[in-house]
Amino acid sequence: MLRFAAVRLLQAIVVLLIMSFLIYGLIGLMPGDPIDLMINADPNVTAADAARLRALYGLDQPIWERYLNWLTAALQGDFGYSRLFSRPVPEVLAPRLLNTLLLLGMSLVLSLMVAIPLGVFAARRPNTATDTAINLACFAGISVPPFWLALLFIILFAVVLGVLPAGGMAPVGGDGGLWERLPYLVMPVATLTLVSIGGYTRFVRAAVMEQLRQDYIRTARAKGVPERSVVWRHALRNAMIPVVTIVALGFGSLFSGALVTESMFAYLGMGKLIYDSILGNDYNIALVGLLLATLMTLAGNLLADLGYAALDPRITFTETRT
Amino acid sequence: MAINRTLLGYGRFKRMGAVAAVLMGMTSAGAGAATAKDELVIGAVQFPGTFHPSIDAMATKGYILGMARRPFTTFDQDWKLICLLCTELPSLEKGTAVEVTRSDGTRAIDATFTIQPGATWGDGKPVTTRDVLFTWEVGRHPLSGVTNAQLFSKDIVGITAVDDKTFVVHWDKFRCGYDAINDLLVLPEHLERPVFETDPGQYRNRTLYDTDRTNPGLYFGPYRITRVEAGAYVVLEPNPTWWGEQPGFKRIVVRTVENTAAMEANLLSGEIDYVAGEVGLSIEQALAFEKRHGQRYNVVYKPGLFYEHIDLNLDNPILADVRVRRALLTAVDREAISRQLFGGKQSVAHTGVNPLDRFYSDDFTKYPFNQQAAVKLLEEAGWTELRDGIRQDASGRRLSLEFQSTAGNRTRELVQQVLQAQWRKIGVDVRINNQPARVLFGETMRERKFPAMAMFAWLSSPENIPRTILHSSMIPAADNGFSGQNYNGFRDAEADRIIDDLEVTCADDQAKPLWTRLQQIYAEKLPALPLYFRSDSYIMPPWLEGVRPTGHQYPSTLWVEQWRSK
Amino acid sequence: MTAWRRFLTHRAAVVSLILLVLLAAAALAAPLIEAALGVDANAVSLLDRFGPPSAANWLGTDELGRDVLVRLLHGGRVSLFVGLAAAVGSAVIGTVIGLAAGFYGGRVDGFLMRLTDGVIALPLLPLLIVLAAVDLGKLGLPAGLAQSDQVSLYRIIVIVALGGWTTVARLVRGAALSVRRREFVRAAVALGASDTRLMLVHILPNVASPIVVATTLSIGNIILLESVLSFLGLGIQPPLPSWGNMLTNAQELIWSAPMLAIYPGLLIFVTVIAFNFVGDGLQDALDPRSGGTRR
Repeated sequence: MLRFAAVRLLQAIVVLLIMSFLIYGLIGLMPGDPIDLMINADPNVTAADAARLRALYGLDQPIWERYLNWLTAALQGDFGYSRLFSRPVPEVLAPRLLNTLLLLGMSLVLSLMVAIPLGVFAARRPNTATDTAINLACFAGISVPPFWLALLFIILFAVVLGVLPAGGMAPVGGDGGLWERLPYLVMPVATLTLVSIGGYTRFVRAAVMEQLRQDYIRTARAKGVPERSVVWRHALRNAMIPVVTIVALGFGSLFSGALVTESMFAYLGMGKLIYDSILGNDYNIALVGLLLATLMTLAGNLLADLGYAALDPRITFTETRT
Repeated sequence: MAINRTLLGYGRFKRMGAVAAVLMGMTSAGAGAATAKDELVIGAVQFPGTFHPSIDAMATKGYILGMARRPFTTFDQDWKLICLLCTELPSLEKGTAVEVTRSDGTRAIDATFTIQPGATWGDGKPVTTRDVLFTWEVGRHPLSGVTNAQLFSKDIVGITAVDDKTFVVHWDKFRCGYDAINDLLVLPEHLERPVFETDPGQYRNRTLYDTDRTNPGLYFGPYRITRVEAGAYVVLEPNPTWWGEQPGFKRIVVRTVENTAAMEANLLSGEIDYVAGEVGLSIEQALAFEKRHGQRYNVVYKPGLFYEHIDLNLDNPILADVRVRRALLTAVDREAISRQLFGGKQSVAHTGVNPLDRFYSDDFTKYPFNQQAAVKLLEEAGWTELRDGIRQDASGRRLSLEFQSTAGNRTRELVQQVLQAQWRKIGVDVRINNQPARVLFGETMRERKFPAMAMFAWLSSPENIPRTILHSSMIPAADNGFSGQNYNGFRDAEADRIIDDLEVTCADDQAKPLWTRLQQIYAEKLPALPLYFRSDSYIMPPWLEGVRPTGHQYPSTLWVEQWRSK
Repeated sequence: MTAWRRFLTHRAAVVSLILLVLLAAAALAAPLIEAALGVDANAVSLLDRFGPPSAANWLGTDELGRDVLVRLLHGGRVSLFVGLAAAVGSAVIGTVIGLAAGFYGGRVDGFLMRLTDGVIALPLLPLLIVLAAVDLGKLGLPAGLAQSDQVSLYRIIVIVALGGWTTVARLVRGAALSVRRREFVRAAVALGASDTRLMLVHILPNVASPIVVATTLSIGNIILLESVLSFLGLGIQPPLPSWGNMLTNAQELIWSAPMLAIYPGLLIFVTVIAFNFVGDGLQDALDPRSGGTRR
């Protein structure tokens, strides 16, 4: 088990290294560099200015050399400056990361709080009208374009009813405490939650139904264990294993999933930051941001595997080699 | 209306105690519309990357800094050059500018400026010529990262301080624009020198404008920045050391909302009072907004110096024929586009010179919409045969052109589709292939890789001599490092000569005929297809007074102290 | 036939399938409908902007005076095509990789599965943004293709297919591994069947059902993804209409012409739901253990 974790950790580092080079190269493939954008913003910039700035930003070197320079510095903890924000990369990233984690964390907890009871509820009465209705609702949540849902929310709650702020992070001039931020979190969290509840609910339902067919449930029922207890204590506990897995595996994609929500509600999160940095040619931010997202995915995978092994002793890690 | 609804909403929440209190605090500004307001919340679609005045030009940065700092000279709302930080424009007549001959024999000019006597940094230190000299020093340092170094390292060959408040600018050659130092944006020497001298190469990252943005000593305008929440908003409060008229608002907040649909929602919900034209909604949105909410807001359209046009690659064999270029323009009903899409608020352009410019001439060829005439021109140019609705020449070549613009710019995409349909009617096949702005400007235009047509806008200051756009020495190519903006590849000896002459012809009555001739050449040769001049749309609440849009690249906030709440 | 009959018992799936067939037929018939109504999807008429529904324009006209109904149908062609092509593309790539990994096992399997992990680890959306900005001309594509109106269409299909094959690959690999151990495959190996034959004739048919289900479910997701990309300005580029870019365009007009946003939004919504239901029904039908039959 420990050895397995060590191997996976090593793999993760290798993957991260490869990814960093891939992403660096991809960004390099994009036409235009930061200086081109500057020239475009200011018609008075001359060729000499451009060459001078390009040298200043180190853009006149070949890409692999720039990558090595970046890597050397990054390994020493120097991630450089953000071009778009004129601040050191960690200083820009850290608050954004926290914001996104707050947003995602709240919506994840909320989704699961709804999805688990709903999924169990549906699993206990398969193929009834209730089940079908829940299924329909789940698909509806999965199928709605997220920016569309966000816009509807803004129109309804911010404009028509006027009960929630249309966007932003916190009131102007406030201290940015969580309490102040709550009203600003309601709509983004609701949007993210509504689009993810469906998937989780269907997953819980399937997992619980699978468990309810197992022998041990039949045994428990035969022994006269009350149905409530059978479902909630026995079936659900085992069904949670795959549910936890799917949640952990989804970590990385959550970043990108939040992009749309973040930009609709002017919420300053990672998704939006990565997007802006790519379009604004902010190498340093884009790289570290994308690597963080990769790291999240890898961590999610690892957690899922470890959790799986811990929860279900039947699983060993040699199984894949046949 | 919105306020009532807002209050109703709060009432509903009140039962929940604390939450209601939070919500109340949140938009307290929305509550007191009846009385004069102390606070103004402005919506902007961008957040500035840096707050340093001379690094990386950006509309929102200029807009915000307009409230907190002032340039020496700028163009006012009537497009006249005026002094803001200086006391009086230098002039040859008054002797504050003198023609000189440099030691190497070049004819040049020296101009004297005097800093406003009351100009004082927010920390109480007066703005002096030491600041000006420091600014010049930073500007011409090769590592400082200042965007427009040409002004500091080439155009200005020296600055002499006469005393604490007066300095002389030595220009590299004789130029009529000797009185304009719009881009010499003074930096506080007492704060920035230590940062700069520690490591000039790191100055752009370590400047106090980015590391200590609320330092009062960085600003000397009517307001100073007191709070910056990166990406979200900037708070400005009156600067006690301001020398001019006392500003009307106790607090101005510039909030960033990038999504324009969300911006409208913010406006309607009262979280934003005013959407500035310089950094706000497109004209289409403003028109639609006015239609629905015109009684609650003043929507002001200010025609400006955004020249929307289509650059033509004159090296394209089809477009090299001027008859084809004229046919393309004649086949387009620009009046109808302006009327139907832009509510008549954006005037049709005939050349790159705006009708509001004092050098505008009306004496040149125009190309009113006329399909038959367009067809005739094409036939004269040899595009006679029609196959599947597309013209061909004798050799069987199809009259097919690629049309590029910035992807995601909705207005341009709409206009493109209208143009495509109209050209189709005279048998021209136009393929739209748009690229993200960073690709289009970063590479396609700069390296002249666009095969035929590209639609975008030039933003200029008034009376801007179009050297970089029309002079034949400004055609980007590999051997000149792709400098210049003559993307069309326009070469015209007479135009070159006029441009050279204009730079040294200072008297209006002598410059006017040159300008007229330049417009005639442009209209005749059509290096680009002029479309229209864009208007900025300002959505103001009725209680906001004193905002005067400029219509050029210098923002209305340079007169923010005149803004009042009714 | 039992699978089909089981599918027919899934009422929502059947309704969805009928709906999808109708939608697809209407989209395919767009040129005919265009002709029948006497309107042209690309005919810009500045005088007829935001027209109300009429005899000629059943759903009114859009911001350039074009017929909304016909544009929706054309947009449907594009959206459905993107969904279908990208889903099939990812299914093909995923099947090949999954088959190879499951069949050969060992190092091949190890390598391919690490590759799969790697692609899964790629944060898809940001990478899509990077890839969408890459100059296709630089990649050696013929200028004619790289500059055609439809280039944004093919680019999206390729990118989505290249990023989306992992689900199918994992499914197929798992199934192939278990099928390989079955008697009939061992018998075929003993009889000297070639690798290709083994994979195509013996293993592929046995892993077909999960592929079909996964592909069906992914079509809906891709249509949704296209709308998100359009929202970000990286989707199908006008003048080619897609539901995604129609919806995004209408977003700014949400206050003045809400119907322009409601139609494409509704179509996306309904189509994605329908694909999900069909996928759900297929799953129940092809793999009866998974969910039990529905009425």
